[in-house]
Amino acid sequence: MTACIEARQLSRSYGDITALKSLDLEVPEGEWLTVMGHSGSGKSTFLNLVGGLDRPTSGELRIGGVDMLTLDESGLARFRREYVGIIFQQHHLIPHLSALENVMMAQYFHSVVDEAEARSALERVGLGARLANRPGELSGGEQQRVCIARAVINSPRLLLADEPTGNLDHQNTRVVLDLLRELRAEERFTIVLVTHNDEVAAWGDRTIRLDDGRLVSGTMVTP
Amino acid sequence: MGRGRWLFHIMARSLFWRRGRSLLLVLMLAMASSLVTALGVISASIGTRVTQELQRYGANVVIVPAAARMDVGSGGMNFGVVSEPAYLDEGAVEQALASAGLGQAAHSLHLRSALHYGNADVPVEGVHFDQIRKLFPWWQVQGEWPTAGGAVVGRDLAARLRLKTGDILRLKGVATEISVRIDGIVATGGEEDRSLYLDLPALQEAAHLSGRVTQVRLLTDAGREKPAATAARIQTLLPGASVREVRQVASTSEGLLRKVQLLLLIVTLVVVVACGASVAGTMGSTVLERSREIGLLKALGGTRGHVLLLFVIEAVVLGVLGGVAGFLAGSGIAFLAAWSVFATAGEFLPRFIPAALGVSLLLAFVSSAGSFMAVFRLDPVASLRGEYHAHENA
Repeated sequence: MTACIEARQLSRSYGDITALKSLDLEVPEGEWLTVMGHSGSGKSTFLNLVGGLDRPTSGELRIGGVDMLTLDESGLARFRREYVGIIFQQHHLIPHLSALENVMMAQYFHSVVDEAEARSALERVGLGARLANRPGELSGGEQQRVCIARAVINSPRLLLADEPTGNLDHQNTRVVLDLLRELRAEERFTIVLVTHNDEVAAWGDRTIRLDDGRLVSGTMVTP
Repeated sequence: MGRGRWLFHIMARSLFWRRGRSLLLVLMLAMASSLVTALGVISASIGTRVTQELQRYGANVVIVPAAARMDVGSGGMNFGVVSEPAYLDEGAVEQALASAGLGQAAHSLHLRSALHYGNADVPVEGVHFDQIRKLFPWWQVQGEWPTAGGAVVGRDLAARLRLKTGDILRLKGVATEISVRIDGIVATGGEEDRSLYLDLPALQEAAHLSGRVTQVRLLTDAGREKPAATAARIQTLLPGASVREVRQVASTSEGLLRKVQLLLLIVTLVVVVACGASVAGTMGSTVLERSREIGLLKALGGTRGHVLLLFVIEAVVLGVLGGVAGFLAGSGIAFLAAWSVFATAGEFLPRFIPAALGVSLLLAFVSSAGSFMAVFRLDPVASLRGEYHAHENA
């Protein structure tokens, strides 16, 4: 199976603090990898590196065969809009835009702004009746579903989810995870999901655990 | 939806979402732009206005014979003293004015003399009434302006001699006797009230002073050339005459011009700087507030250029709105200034639209430059976390 993510001796330091220490990891195409760990364990740093939001201090990182260290800033931006979809714990929806417009914003950076396609994506996540509502008029679960629609609208090969259910109740957590499972089955993208929650982790194919920037449990490659 | 239309759409959403702040920014830009517009419009039209004002005061240059010392005054102002009769050659004066390029400038020829009426001499002045009407608009004539064979008598003289309009006077001069009809009575509050005004050729004939005048009054365009300089030029062409600037009026016009322009310039500079600082502060706080949004846009794949474009478009729209509002407000200020200072309707000068827009846009961009740089350098991870400082690796 082709590797979606290949990390070799991947490290990231911020001044004297090393957030990620010599991580070796391989994630095949289509896998749902769950990353667990305490706060400050390096899991968000890993997600940022894999998402092209940050650069490693040392080591190697290849995503979809692309050497991330060779990309300049505009190359990283292109990588983010063409290859990656990101779901944030805080949703990060633009407050003055409607649910539909928030999804269309991701289309604008990727290719063309297609209202019908954005509408369809929101209908897929069960928000067909909430298109015109602004984030402030939506519940936490609904906002997260807008975030999911926005993340998948450009058919990414890699979906990154940073604590996507961290702010949701049990029922909404299940809705979101069900949605991710359905979308993955349809789109066949790779998922890297960061969570503290063992129950959420159980939805993935494989779980790794980071502590103090090191891989402390789980396998480097899929067994 | 096309990309251009989408950009405009989200820009409009953003500005409407922050409508209070957007309105404040437009008002600040409009304030600076309006003063620049007002300065431009007033400066452009002030020369014309001052010239128009000068016409209210009459001539700004007076030509008298060099040997003469005569009382030169008008409208309650006194510029000199007459002592002995001396004359200017009417043809030489006209020729000198034409040579100086002032042939078309408003001027009036005067011949002061005295004619015998009844048992006494009365002061008379020969003039061309069409020139008087042009150069002395404050003359209030009761009755009619004279036609052929007519005359105007000063109010005091008319009272002293018990004259009224329609009376026929027989006046005896050195050479001949003439009859004139009183067509009107003039009241200026000045020396004009004590004299009789006849048609110049009639007096020249009666006094045997054909082609002679005792005084020429000239209204020059003070906005084009200082009256003193004009007087000096005429002086070289008329060595036998004394050509003098009417200083009070000239100084007033020049001083008014300079002071109004300087005052407007200072106020404009102060307001532009103050508005720039306010716009910079407001834009800066807006960028800080929107740092998460900026981080998100970058996380979605937006380059620095993409994100910067969104902010630049907002600045352009605010600048254009501020410029248009500023032009309208500035035109209004100039209109009010013209009305209150010159008591005339102001001018609407569309040629200052580019200046108004330019100032507003320049101010919007210069004041936002720091914020734009922050947007340019903002690291997506740091800004998504709410850390506002630009990251060294961004």
